[in-house]
Amino acid sequence: MHMATTPAIEPIVHLSNVDKDYKLGAVTVSALKQVSLEIAPGEFTVIAGPSGSGKTTLLNLIGCVDVATRGEVIVAGQDTGKLSEGDLTRLRLNALGFIFQSFNLVGVLDAFQNVEFPLLLQKKMNAAQRKERVMDLLNRVGIAEYAHHRPGELSGGQRQRVAIARALVTFPRIVLADEPTANLDSVTGNQILDLMQELNREGTTFLFSTHDPHVVSRAGRVVRLVDGRIVTEPEQQSPMSHT
Amino acid sequence: MILIQIALRNLLTHKIKSAIVGGLLIFAAFLIIAGLSLISSIDKSMSKSIVNSVAGHIQLQEKGAKDELSIFGQMGSNEIGYIHNFAEIRKAIEAMPEVAAVVPMGIDSSIVFGGNVLDVKLEALRNAVKAGDQKQSAVIRRHVRRMVALLDDELKNLKGFSDQEKMSDDMKQGLLDVAEANQPKFWDSFDADPYAHLEFLENKIAKMAIGEDMLMLRYVGTDTERFRKVFDRFEMVDGQMIPPGQRGFLFNKFTYEEQVKHKTARRLDKIKDRLAEGAKVATDDEIKQWIKLNRTQYKEITFQLDDVATDEVKAALQAELQSKESDMAKLVDAFMDVSDANFQKRYDLFYKVIAPRIRLYSIRMGDTMTINGFSQSGYATTVNVKVYGTFRFHGLDRSTMAGAFNILDLMTYRDLLGYMTADKKAEIAKLQAQSGVKELKRDTAEAELFGEGGGEQVEDTTNATPTQAAAATPTDAPAEATPAAIAGNAPLSGAKLMAKELEGHVYSQEEIDGGVIRSAAIMLKPDFDVKTGMEKVSALIAAKKFALKPLDWRAASGLVGNFVGVIYAVLAFSIFIIFLVSLVIINNSLVMSTLERTREIGTMRAIGAQRSEILQMFMVEAVVMAGVFGAIGCTFGYALVAYFGHFGLLASNDFMIFLSGGPRFYPALPPWGLPVAMLAVLIVTLISTLYPAWLAMRITPLAAMQDSE
Repeated sequence: MHMATTPAIEPIVHLSNVDKDYKLGAVTVSALKQVSLEIAPGEFTVIAGPSGSGKTTLLNLIGCVDVATRGEVIVAGQDTGKLSEGDLTRLRLNALGFIFQSFNLVGVLDAFQNVEFPLLLQKKMNAAQRKERVMDLLNRVGIAEYAHHRPGELSGGQRQRVAIARALVTFPRIVLADEPTANLDSVTGNQILDLMQELNREGTTFLFSTHDPHVVSRAGRVVRLVDGRIVTEPEQQSPMSHT
Repeated sequence: MILIQIALRNLLTHKIKSAIVGGLLIFAAFLIIAGLSLISSIDKSMSKSIVNSVAGHIQLQEKGAKDELSIFGQMGSNEIGYIHNFAEIRKAIEAMPEVAAVVPMGIDSSIVFGGNVLDVKLEALRNAVKAGDQKQSAVIRRHVRRMVALLDDELKNLKGFSDQEKMSDDMKQGLLDVAEANQPKFWDSFDADPYAHLEFLENKIAKMAIGEDMLMLRYVGTDTERFRKVFDRFEMVDGQMIPPGQRGFLFNKFTYEEQVKHKTARRLDKIKDRLAEGAKVATDDEIKQWIKLNRTQYKEITFQLDDVATDEVKAALQAELQSKESDMAKLVDAFMDVSDANFQKRYDLFYKVIAPRIRLYSIRMGDTMTINGFSQSGYATTVNVKVYGTFRFHGLDRSTMAGAFNILDLMTYRDLLGYMTADKKAEIAKLQAQSGVKELKRDTAEAELFGEGGGEQVEDTTNATPTQAAAATPTDAPAEATPAAIAGNAPLSGAKLMAKELEGHVYSQEEIDGGVIRSAAIMLKPDFDVKTGMEKVSALIAAKKFALKPLDWRAASGLVGNFVGVIYAVLAFSIFIIFLVSLVIINNSLVMSTLERTREIGTMRAIGAQRSEILQMFMVEAVVMAGVFGAIGCTFGYALVAYFGHFGLLASNDFMIFLSGGPRFYPALPPWGLPVAMLAVLIVTLISTLYPAWLAMRITPLAAMQDSE
């Protein structure tokens, strides 16, 4: 709920020695191996890596839509391995925001309603408060004039703006974005990245995955994954190197 | 709110799904509304038809009788039992605050011979001879002679077809007699000894005449006066009511027209009615059939016309047809070949010129009619009774079901039934006592006499009328004595005498109530329903220990009463089938649309929607679908019902008239129809949503991420 502000004593995300296995028939596939990671408030972090490297799996664990096979995943102070499905859902609702590669808006609802939807699930605000909050965000992402357009009537970039507004509407601790620009042309993709960066500067913590080097270049921090392992995790622009 | 919006918009978005699901739900709702209206209206109007014409609200029959009472059931006698203490029963039941009246009844069918034209003509001839009217006598004689010639022809034709060897001696003799009467010398010698000739014609020839009307009449033997007062659908049409307490017969106008009326005239009436309904001669098969029969059955007219009448009719037909044809057969044929254009004119001409010269009804009001009954074990019983008039059951004038009931006074009915009064039984008991059989108690006499074990020698009585003393002649009674065996063989010869003697005799209420009846109708007061009535009456019967079984009108009316139950079952079954099919189809299409929405649902789950909220969304969608489509279907159904409720639905056949209680049927939606239809649609929709909803609940938030990586 509260925006990450001053001294980041406690990380929003804390992973230690996380393994994630998938069973494909008789074979067990190891998607993540011994992953440890911390995300502090205010970061603008990219998880980079080729397809199949485990980016989405990592994002899913942090996003509480999946649980680790081994190791500890702590999100917003809660050990996700110990939560019930209902609690995980509540955690997603209250602490996380999601931006999807394909925007994933509800087609039958207009932009305003899509953004409002998580607030309705939260049941914390009355209609007036919701309206104020939703319109604020739509203004912020620059599509207030399209508030009553349905996704089908919007361009890809506009849709992703709606999705960003939706992700932010609940004041999440962290916004997770899975390849947010993959379905956009480069100009629009850049605009979306600009927006995200602006929002980051205003205090929103972002964690997103990509395999686009251009996107990686704009990250504040890069976590590089190869075959389910983090290969490097220091400053910006690190080349692929030692284990 | 948002869920309802999602639901509504989903309906609009998924057009194919909506069309399939919507179509089915609309149809189901429509069917329920229309079906329920139809059935409940039929039930209502039919109950009026049945209750207010013959059955009353409740019927009583003997407890333990072999057959259940079936008023509109099959013809012929059933072993429905006998009620002996009607007077006592009536007093007790009519004292109940719920009961308006109790009417005694016995329903049976018998054969009546309408009498043939030859008989009538011979009677006229005898009168003419007696009066010395030579001219009239000659006219009638020529007519009779022509009829005899025709009869001779027809019998000779018949002879050609049938096996001479197997023919009875009576029949052979009859053929010879007719041939003799067809000789010129028979007629030449008529004037020499008219009475001998008349006797020969009356005794030998008339019985050979074919084409005699044999009527199968169904009647209610009842306390006519009370029947008239209690059954408000009863109304007189022609003639007069049977005077209170007297013997007599009333024809149902329907039966009278249908069976007693001259066939050609009846067919013309039917054509007229049908044309009035808007049918056309050229396109209506039934009208064509009637016209064809009228043309080929010209003898129905020509046979009845003597030469004076023939000339008059011939002139009128020639004028109408503008023809010089002199052959009556051809003239009638041509005359009966009616079209839409000339029908009314010819119909009027028929009634103006032909009808007065023929016997329009084979039994007329005021006639004494002979009813030939069959008692339980097949003995013939015969009574003569005066026909007072015709009546109808209001609104059911054209129904064969209600129209089949004629009315007979109870005293005559008892004679015909061949059953004994209590006095008579006492007499038999006395006779038996004298002849050494053990004494019978009055109230157990019945069982002792007719029970299975009653193998004693039982005295036979020769007469079953209450007014004549029983001249008991001991004979060898059948070992297996039945009521009919004892009382059924009243001598045929006595009947005719009896009628004259009994006509005009006024019976007291005690006499009418005192004898045996088969069943009794209870009419409740308007404030009480049948269910309450049944409970109260049952309680009274139990308290008074009457040997009676009460039946509500539905049960008592036999098959017809169950008819509504049957169509309810048919409707329920077809709705069930439709629902089952709908269930499968709706389920399928919802599963499809759920799969299409996998990502959307996954996204909702990812951004924080609980499983229960997904379920809730599906349920809301189901309710919205049921509401929207159910309402549309109900509106259609209601519109249809309202339309026919206002304009009426023409009852296309007799049975429909009976069901609808009148010539037009006005369906109305029962107040509970709408909630029932909506509820049924809702239940079906919710059930069909269960599986798709369960599938949707199992969709994980991972589904939202599917297309990446």
